[in-house]
Amino acid sequence: MFRKRSKSNPPEVVAYDATPVAEVQSRVHTTVMGQITSIKTQPSRGLPNLVMKVTDESGSATVTWSGRRSIGGITLGRKILITGVAMRTGGIVAFVNPEYQLLA
Amino acid sequence: MKIIIAGAGSVGRYMAEQLSKFGHDIQLIDTNAKELARVHAEGGTVTGLVGDACEISTLAKAGAADADVIAAVTGDDEDNLVVSLLAKQEFAVPRVVARVNNPNNEWMFNDMWGVDVSVSTPHLLTALVEEAVAVGSLVKLLSLEHGKAGLNEVTLAPGSPAVGNTIANLKLSRESVVVALIRDGHVVAPTPDTVLHENDEVLLLSTGDADEDLQRALIGPR
Repeated sequence: MFRKRSKSNPPEVVAYDATPVAEVQSRVHTTVMGQITSIKTQPSRGLPNLVMKVTDESGSATVTWSGRRSIGGITLGRKILITGVAMRTGGIVAFVNPEYQLLA
Repeated sequence: MKIIIAGAGSVGRYMAEQLSKFGHDIQLIDTNAKELARVHAEGGTVTGLVGDACEISTLAKAGAADADVIAAVTGDDEDNLVVSLLAKQEFAVPRVVARVNNPNNEWMFNDMWGVDVSVSTPHLLTALVEEAVAVGSLVKLLSLEHGKAGLNEVTLAPGSPAVGNTIANLKLSRESVVVALIRDGHVVAPTPDTVLHENDEVLLLSTGDADEDLQRALIGPR
């Protein structure tokens, strides 16, 4: 006989309290989760900035780390959790030097 | 507008007094309660907060989360940079204005440190002195949009190729536009058919590197 999986023991799903990018409000401390879909080094007056795009089903956010050319673990296609105060100008959601957590 | 000013020295106090006159809601931060007490607000509201503006908790208490502008105008460039960075990074303040005390530090006052507009008194003084003495040369009065655009001024010398020409005939590149003329102390609104005279002060708004083009059209070969 098959053992029925008990309802009290569902498959392990780690839940993150992430907000869809499209619903991120300006100047609110928010967490978004998505995939890194672009990474570039964008120098500003000779100083490097690492600029990447994090995309979820609802849209994408721009994340800038100042003074960095690269960050270990930040690679294309990686899933990442971004936490910080978002700035929304026009349709663009931007984070500057946020906290991050690399996922699978 | 809600404006936070970090630094209640003579610059910060003056700004607070002026801006409150225009009806803005001003929050002034300084570590020194005595300096804060010297503010005389007329009309508007100036609230003083004793604390270190380089601390996130102080900025939060001052209401940085919904401030429209933060001006970091202490006498210390390091402090101004820290306040600017925190304002942008932790509170996403739309406009961050910072005072540059030592012109050697000016290169750091950019978006990397969260600064939208930097104001350097020595730089401004140089520009103004240059403007007073310079006829027939390009004077950069103000830079906007992180230095991508700027307001330039040329006073037309007698030999300038622009004298006697219309503005349309200057054939300026698309990077520059004449925004005003000052002739005999009066402002003249420019049209394409306005003829330029000797000693006209021509004010131009330019993006990118328009120096060559302005040199050619308004000053003539070096």
